[in-house]
Amino acid sequence: MDWVSTKPDKYADVPYEEKLRLFLEVKNDPRYEDFLYGCYECGICVSACPSARFYDFSPRVIAQAMAREDVDRFYEILVEDIWNCAQCFSCVRCPRQNNPGGLVTLIREVAVRNGLKEARDVLQGYSRVIYKVMLKGNQVSPDMLQPDFFPDWGPWVREFSENMDVWRRAIPVDTLRGVTDAAWRTDEKTLLELYTIWFETNNIDIIQEVDEGLYELLLDVMEEALEEVA
Amino acid sequence: MASETVLVIGGGPAGMEAARSVADLGYPVLLVERRDRLGGRPEEEHYAKLTHHFREAEDMIRELVEAVTTHSNVTVMTSSEVVGCEGEPGNFRVKIRNGASAEEVTVGSIIVATGFQHFDPGRETQMYNYYTFPDVITIADLEGMLKAHQVVRPSNGQPPERVAFIQCVGSRDRQIGNEFCSKVCCGIASKQAIEVKQQLPDSRVFIFYIDMRMYGYWENEIYWPAQEEYKVNYVKGIVSEILPKGDRLLIRGEDTTMGRPMEVTVDLVVLSVGMEPSEGTRKIAKILDIRQNKYGYIEAGGPTGVDPVATSRPGIFVAGAASGPADLDDTFATAGLAAARAVATVRRLQLAKAA
Repeated sequence: MDWVSTKPDKYADVPYEEKLRLFLEVKNDPRYEDFLYGCYECGICVSACPSARFYDFSPRVIAQAMAREDVDRFYEILVEDIWNCAQCFSCVRCPRQNNPGGLVTLIREVAVRNGLKEARDVLQGYSRVIYKVMLKGNQVSPDMLQPDFFPDWGPWVREFSENMDVWRRAIPVDTLRGVTDAAWRTDEKTLLELYTIWFETNNIDIIQEVDEGLYELLLDVMEEALEEVA
Repeated sequence: MASETVLVIGGGPAGMEAARSVADLGYPVLLVERRDRLGGRPEEEHYAKLTHHFREAEDMIRELVEAVTTHSNVTVMTSSEVVGCEGEPGNFRVKIRNGASAEEVTVGSIIVATGFQHFDPGRETQMYNYYTFPDVITIADLEGMLKAHQVVRPSNGQPPERVAFIQCVGSRDRQIGNEFCSKVCCGIASKQAIEVKQQLPDSRVFIFYIDMRMYGYWENEIYWPAQEEYKVNYVKGIVSEILPKGDRLLIRGEDTTMGRPMEVTVDLVVLSVGMEPSEGTRKIAKILDIRQNKYGYIEAGGPTGVDPVATSRPGIFVAGAASGPADLDDTFATAGLAAARAVATVRRLQLAKAA
């Protein structure tokens, strides 16, 4: 164990070797050394961070824990902290040119690649987004607002989704003309290329890690499309 | 008749640089050194590398020694101490003792370059068990190890896996009486941390600090490389105690920026001891009757308050760490200025006489 904190380790049940493996997966990412130089612990990233105002979240602590190679704290960050980041990258004003938001990106990728429960839980609400992105190359259109999805749209999403239709009609211009159609209109050649990319880059395997049901759905559509051409 | 000789007291970097500058300005210098050879603290304590460009301290000292010993304007007296002084600018009558014999010389002005000594971590409170645990050493001890390429745990002669520096030992402490910042220890510890990692690449190095004071180019020349290239871990929080743990050492403190108490097991603890006025500095201040500050350093400032080489007595100047913590850049700067002022003092008297 690298750091002996006198506070009890919250995830003592997870073997240290497993935490270290995940830590090294982040650290060995080729982008890592451009995202973390050294930390002054000045707090400018926290000051700029919108999430830090609402959650127990600190980009500084993430940068520091990584620099200290504090594997236990890293594991806490992996399963808890990173999911509170909005990935807005306000934190890149760092005087040392660190990129704490980029570190969060890397850690999230590791969580997803390893199919961690926390990653699966977080992505649950986004399965429709993923479905659309992967099948159409585009994600939401404005009429997709639904109460049970997109939790980051805030607690008002239920009221919005119930009333949106009426509110739109109150606006004198035609607000949604062609938007939904256009958002998902993708020509066939592009779609086939897109599906090929998902397979070639193993992206589809990552989906399998986090959402088996979604994976099956996507696989059906994509394989059929690709087979037709072949 | 006014003497044009400048007396320089102390043969360390400040004294040698001052002597060289006076000599190059064309005036005779008498350089008096208590020890049997020149070189001062860097030579006596076997300093390894300098903070600038990681130059060998030994090379720098050798060049200075050569410059003063080969200069026709410089007379060097080693194993000699100034024991008395009276008179005024242009006519200071100075008593110098060399072993059993003593002589009196007349000089026109005086430069005091008697320097500092390292804080003794056992002096007050047995801080951090320096005299009890063999694997607790000081930055001065580590310099010698680095110079010999023998960074080992004194307890067993083995290279340490983990090294922890503790900053501000004997500095910035009201209880000890040294309220000042010793100015150089942040840079020295960081430089040493780099050297440790160069010599023991698999080791892990921590620096526990209150504030890192890496002013000017130390920032990009030392601090950033230590953190970014050599992966030295800087932790804001001072160690409260060191305890034995098996054959290793357990250090306790707070990792303040992570907001948690910490306990870290290490193999070697290096105390970043601060600077104090040397015994010679304390003694010479009394002999020359020049004012000291509350810490025993020679008070500089002069009538303007900002002159770093003026003492309370006209014609007597101070250079280097005799007036307070100084790095070698400060030392060379004040040595050069003291030389200019010392020469100006005797030259002004010469010109007044000629007129």
